[in-house]
Amino acid sequence: MQVYLPLSVLMIRACHALQDKFQIEIMKTFFKTIGNLFKKPATIPFPAAPTYKPDDYRGLIVFDESLCIWCRRCETVCPPGAIVFSQNITDGKQTYHYSPYVCIYCQECVRTCPKQGCLIQSAEPGHPATKEHDVNNVWNKLFADSLESRVTYAAEKKKQQAAAKANPQS
Amino acid sequence: MSTQYNIPVGAQHISLLEPLHFKFTTENEKIIKTEANVGYVHRGIEQACCSKFKFRQVSFVVGRVCGLCSISHTTCYSQVAEKLLKLDIPKRAKYLRMLVIELDRIHSHLLCLSHVAENSGFEALFMKTMRHREFSMELLEAVCGNRIQYDFSIIGGVARDLRTDVAQSILDKFKIFRPQLDELVDIYKTNWSLSLKNKGIGVLSKEDAIRLNVVGPFARASGLGVDVRNETEELLPWKEVGFEIITDTAGDVHARNMVRLKEIYVSMKIIENIINGLPEGDLISDTKAFPEGEAVNRIEAPRGELFYYAKGNKTQVLERLKIKAPTFSNIPAMVETFTNNEYASVPAIIGSYDPCLSCTSR
Repeated sequence: MQVYLPLSVLMIRACHALQDKFQIEIMKTFFKTIGNLFKKPATIPFPAAPTYKPDDYRGLIVFDESLCIWCRRCETVCPPGAIVFSQNITDGKQTYHYSPYVCIYCQECVRTCPKQGCLIQSAEPGHPATKEHDVNNVWNKLFADSLESRVTYAAEKKKQQAAAKANPQS
Repeated sequence: MSTQYNIPVGAQHISLLEPLHFKFTTENEKIIKTEANVGYVHRGIEQACCSKFKFRQVSFVVGRVCGLCSISHTTCYSQVAEKLLKLDIPKRAKYLRMLVIELDRIHSHLLCLSHVAENSGFEALFMKTMRHREFSMELLEAVCGNRIQYDFSIIGGVARDLRTDVAQSILDKFKIFRPQLDELVDIYKTNWSLSLKNKGIGVLSKEDAIRLNVVGPFARASGLGVDVRNETEELLPWKEVGFEIITDTAGDVHARNMVRLKEIYVSMKIIENIINGLPEGDLISDTKAFPEGEAVNRIEAPRGELFYYAKGNKTQVLERLKIKAPTFSNIPAMVETFTNNEYASVPAIIGSYDPCLSCTSR
């Protein structure tokens, strides 16, 4: 009885549906919906399965120190300020700093770099910064300190040059 | 006289994609007066472009004005900067710019259509449209390397070339998408339940469209044939790649849906023509000059005419940059079109405007 009652209701419904154009549509949709239950989902089960990624995806920037000529052009053109060079005050050696969380992957540094292959855009996607990375404090402080270290080094060098000029014998 | 009620909608509301505030005055469920407030996402981008960023970096900043029509903003800025630099760009770069603009239009129009379906209470159609939209996002990712905020146009040309296998995959995916789009057109055109919420709702007459200076698909659905692609051939050769204008006469929500769907067909035709006749040549023409003088530029974004004004003073930083987004032009008509509609129709009408508030208030 429990099985036949919904079925008979469905049959009566189906007979009525024939009389009305719109209800035919409703019946069609009903069977389509049943059919859709057995179809594969259109979505990707994301963390379990990978999403679509082209092979020339714009990913993180890779730096090759051996090729760098320290012209600092990449730092000048970078729109968000994700590249900065700091300078050692004693020997004047420059260090490259890059923040993958600030980078917008625009490739502007790669285009402007005069040495082929020094800066390369890899296909490795960047990851969002979390609380531990503390981008605002850590990166912004590093950026400001790096600029300051260059100013200090320049001032130091100028002082030494002035001293050498004033006392050429020593 | 019956009692009047004031109903606020927004700034945060379930039927709104972005923060937008409407204050409706209703009488017996009929709307008699509307007020709008659109300035909730002001980020001071214009000021940043004229102070913090150099003029070559600005094209990446304006790409962040809007997530949906990012390429329209970048291209429009690149063109206005090229006018200031008196720079002529290669033909291949022009074609690639048009290609990405049209791909972007496909995904933006499908998003708007799905949003109208959802706001009309047709959740299944929303899912279906969004599912079919996914191919355009993947194509944009394959062409530009980014899924949104493409950074494709730069001053002097484009950032990346179109690979032949990517071009072929665009044509292949269009072959799959065309029958899906036919099916969508059939549903949007003939579905009876959707027609109750869309046909004859939110009507804007042609006279009002002219008087209120409406742009984009909103205007074209009212029979007003305004389209920048139809008006100027100065910077991008639209006629050469087979552009044709789409208009409708009814001016209601249904007409706007139809205009958007037909425009997707035109965009697909344009993209196929571009890929089949892509000229050879360089991607970038470069110059060491600095921007000087004043220039304006217009481009047809998915929502209508996008306008840029820039003033340079021979330094790295621009003196002034002004962005006028299409939704800003449409606000007077948006407010007026609600009048004499049922309050229950409001979500569908808002969806059919396709408002982009992050463009408008920048």
